[in-house]
Amino acid sequence: MNPTDLIGPASPLGNPAPFWFITFFKVLGLILHMIPMNVWFAGMILVAVFSTFGKNHSLELAHRLSRTMPAVVALGINLGIVPLLFTQVGYYQFYYPAGVLMARAWFSVIVILLFAYYGVYVYSLSVRSNRRTKFALTSAWISSIAFVLISFLFANNFSLMANVNDWIHIYTRTSESGAALGTGLNTADPTLIPRWLMMFGIAITTTAVFIVFDAVFFKRKDTSDNYRKWAGKFAFAFYTLGIVVYAVMGSWYVFGALGESVLNPIGQSSFMKILFPLTAISPGLVWIALFAQRKGLRKATTITAGTLQVFVITLNAVSRQWVQNEEIFKFKDVSQLPVQVQWSPMIVFLLLFVIGLTVVGWMIAKIAEVEKRGAEEIQVK
Amino acid sequence: MHYPWWYVPNFTAPMLIAGIATIHVFVSLYAVGGGIVLAGEVSHAYKSNDRPMLDYLRTHTLFFILLTVVFGAITGVGIWWTIGLASPLATESLIHIFVFGWAMEYVFFVIEIVSAFVFHYYWGRLDPKTHAAIGWIYAISAYISLVLITGITAFQLDIGNWTPEKGMWTAFFNPQTIPQIMARSGAALLLASLYIYLHAAFKLRNDVHLRSLVENRVSKWGMAGAALVTAGGAWWYVNIPESAKSALAGASALNILTALIFLASAVVFFMLYFGPYRHPGWLNPGFAILYFLLGIAATGTGEFIREGARKPYIVYNYVTGNNVLVSEIPKLQASGYLNGGVWTRAYLKEQYPQAVTKDGNIDYAEMLKLPVAEQVKVGKVLFQYHCNDCHSTNGFSGLDRLTQGWTRDMISTVVTHLNKAHYFMPPWCGNDAEAVLITEFIQSLSEPTPAGMKFSEEESSEKEKTSNLAAREESDR
Ligand code: HEC
Ligand code: HEM
Repeated sequence: MNPTDLIGPASPLGNPAPFWFITFFKVLGLILHMIPMNVWFAGMILVAVFSTFGKNHSLELAHRLSRTMPAVVALGINLGIVPLLFTQVGYYQFYYPAGVLMARAWFSVIVILLFAYYGVYVYSLSVRSNRRTKFALTSAWISSIAFVLISFLFANNFSLMANVNDWIHIYTRTSESGAALGTGLNTADPTLIPRWLMMFGIAITTTAVFIVFDAVFFKRKDTSDNYRKWAGKFAFAFYTLGIVVYAVMGSWYVFGALGESVLNPIGQSSFMKILFPLTAISPGLVWIALFAQRKGLRKATTITAGTLQVFVITLNAVSRQWVQNEEIFKFKDVSQLPVQVQWSPMIVFLLLFVIGLTVVGWMIAKIAEVEKRGAEEIQVK
Repeated sequence: MHYPWWYVPNFTAPMLIAGIATIHVFVSLYAVGGGIVLAGEVSHAYKSNDRPMLDYLRTHTLFFILLTVVFGAITGVGIWWTIGLASPLATESLIHIFVFGWAMEYVFFVIEIVSAFVFHYYWGRLDPKTHAAIGWIYAISAYISLVLITGITAFQLDIGNWTPEKGMWTAFFNPQTIPQIMARSGAALLLASLYIYLHAAFKLRNDVHLRSLVENRVSKWGMAGAALVTAGGAWWYVNIPESAKSALAGASALNILTALIFLASAVVFFMLYFGPYRHPGWLNPGFAILYFLLGIAATGTGEFIREGARKPYIVYNYVTGNNVLVSEIPKLQASGYLNGGVWTRAYLKEQYPQAVTKDGNIDYAEMLKLPVAEQVKVGKVLFQYHCNDCHSTNGFSGLDRLTQGWTRDMISTVVTHLNKAHYFMPPWCGNDAEAVLITEFIQSLSEPTPAGMKFSEEESSEKEKTSNLAAREESDR
């Protein structure tokens, strides 16, 4: 049997937008999703660990992170739906089969997420009201474990999408009378583990930058100079750990797991010849920015580090998409599907997108004013 | 047939959608209506400088956020998750038609999230004007998201003038959209008032004065909501397609439920009028819970009817309940259902390599030569991909009970005339050989007539069935 036999027919409706448009918003969506997702992925682990074992500054860090966590999770989930939508528009022939083959696990993401999210709230509210109970602490642990579990399931689905060769094996192993039981996972795929943990590495780095950001910009009235100093040092160490995980997993992923059939085309593309190495070394730039402020945080450097981290995430998202396309186009070049552009809805969407950004920008400006007013007494170097 | 089917024993995968969608609606309607009520009441309280009311609204906002931003948002994403798993082809189609509608929806979701958090966490730190404005930003964006999603779900029930060549707007402005928006706006306001009662009845247990004020002010929103539900519902009923109307009239359960909703809305309207509006202050937790349950029941029933009336389609006249495009049916009937399905074909070729023709198709003549036990197995594959959307084997809407005591001929007749037996089933999409195979499977499943019933005819047909099976199994050996 040919693996491509399992790829369903194209939609007779045609794609509602050119392929580059779909890919652009899928990648943009992933970038926007990754920023907050990274913060809860690695950040909730810090919250749980430091709330249990931390003292002074590390405990304070746990509390600070947990205060902003509900908003971070809310935003990240909503921003996650954007790439989910565009994945389903452009890659439906791959996304749905992968989802159905692991349907039970994929469905359970919703249930697990509900626990994770309420856990975040329970702990956050307990910190805000200064009543940290055992229950609250347990909730923080449950959340952090739940997020790790969910991230593993995400890595499964998005790698299974491209692992068409294994579909038939998973299908026949986990089906009843031709219908999928939904108990499959993509664990036989060598790219799964490094792919998953590579994201964990990036998550650590993003969280490290977030810690610095938080120390410089949030709740300035209550932030002591001592804490700020400690946060700078800790963030630098944490970022270093993230780079190590990223480098190890990234090398494993690229040299140990991705096959020739994906690597060769990448080697032939001059764009990728630049992008791939850049993606690999980009965290180094942020590392330098954090190194520079181990001894004391500065606003400008913090903003630079933050901007560079967004750049790191962007490079990652673009490279991922490139690899995913290589993997998938081998089986079927979905960029060549018929297109029937829906112009006026697209234009209305783009207009609303700009209006939406403006409204959100206005609200953020308003709270920035409030935060500034509250921070008059404290000078940040 | 384009995708693998997900088998959820006893329950059926689409029932997961119904389950999540219903609980989601309870919260998401409150997310919209509650936003409007909160924005309106906060503005009013600032204007009248009513400190105690503002304090109450603040505690209510936390309750609101904990419920809507978390539970509402996750179950909403949950619907998405589930439709992709349980109705992939319909989801694929809807997404290709409405991608920009959904994209717009997400713009508003993000505005909602940001404004909800700013509204709550910066309460008392923003100046009143800005704070109230942010409340309204939330309310408006939440309302627009209700409008957008309603157009999409309304389309599933009635595609109006839409054809695949036409774009999203034709699909969006189908005959169902406006009436449904009206009914749902009403339900949103009504549910919001009931949630507020529920919360206030506990939170303000000991503050009769403030509680009376809350009751009185909120009852107006609730009454407006009840009126809108009734008007929108009636308008909707006038506009639904013939088949849905028949489904409502024909299925006695749906019929009674429809009447119940109108009744419940009317009851709630009068309860609100004579209760909190005319005589505020008497609300106690017990009554608040009762109100709330009534509201939930009415909303849940409304959504249940909306879903039930859609059969046999997932998208009216475009995708059928068994995840087939209406336009594909003739081809499947000619080539064979299993042969035309991407995954069924691969599965059977793996399982029965002896029943594959030279050009790689399923060889139905060979299939019919398989031993009965194997034919039953192939029949089950047909069941999975053709019936399991709506029937389980022996659980929810189980075929074992639906065909209890049936003869082989009866089963075969219904199978080959599905849409004639009940117009809310799709037509039989397979070929003749497949009809034999699935009949074999259903017969293996069908329960005998309950023992002890004495009609001579029934008995003989029972015997006939058993002896038939025994005879054929004999001939296999
Ligand atoms: C779109 C949904 C849908 C699909 C698909 C569907 N059915 Fe049905 N079917 C129904 C409904 C609804 C009923 C009524 C159930 C009840 O009364 O509880 C029904 C009733 C039946 C009955 C009982 C008929 C009677 O007169 O009492 C049989 C037998 C049946 N279906 C067989 C099948 C078979 C076999 C398939 C697959 C080839 C199938 N159905 C596919 C929705 C569906
Ligand atoms: C319901 C909310 C969520 C939605 C809608 C969502 C959506 C998505 C989507 C669509 C992608 C793939 C993007 C792409 O490749 O273009 C993605 C990636 C990812 N998400 Fe989320 N996400 C959600 C919640 C979470 C949670 C709670 C976690 C937990 C840490 C998480 C972790 C990840 C990870 C690790 C990846 C990378 C997967 C990979 O490609 O290997 N997400 N998310």
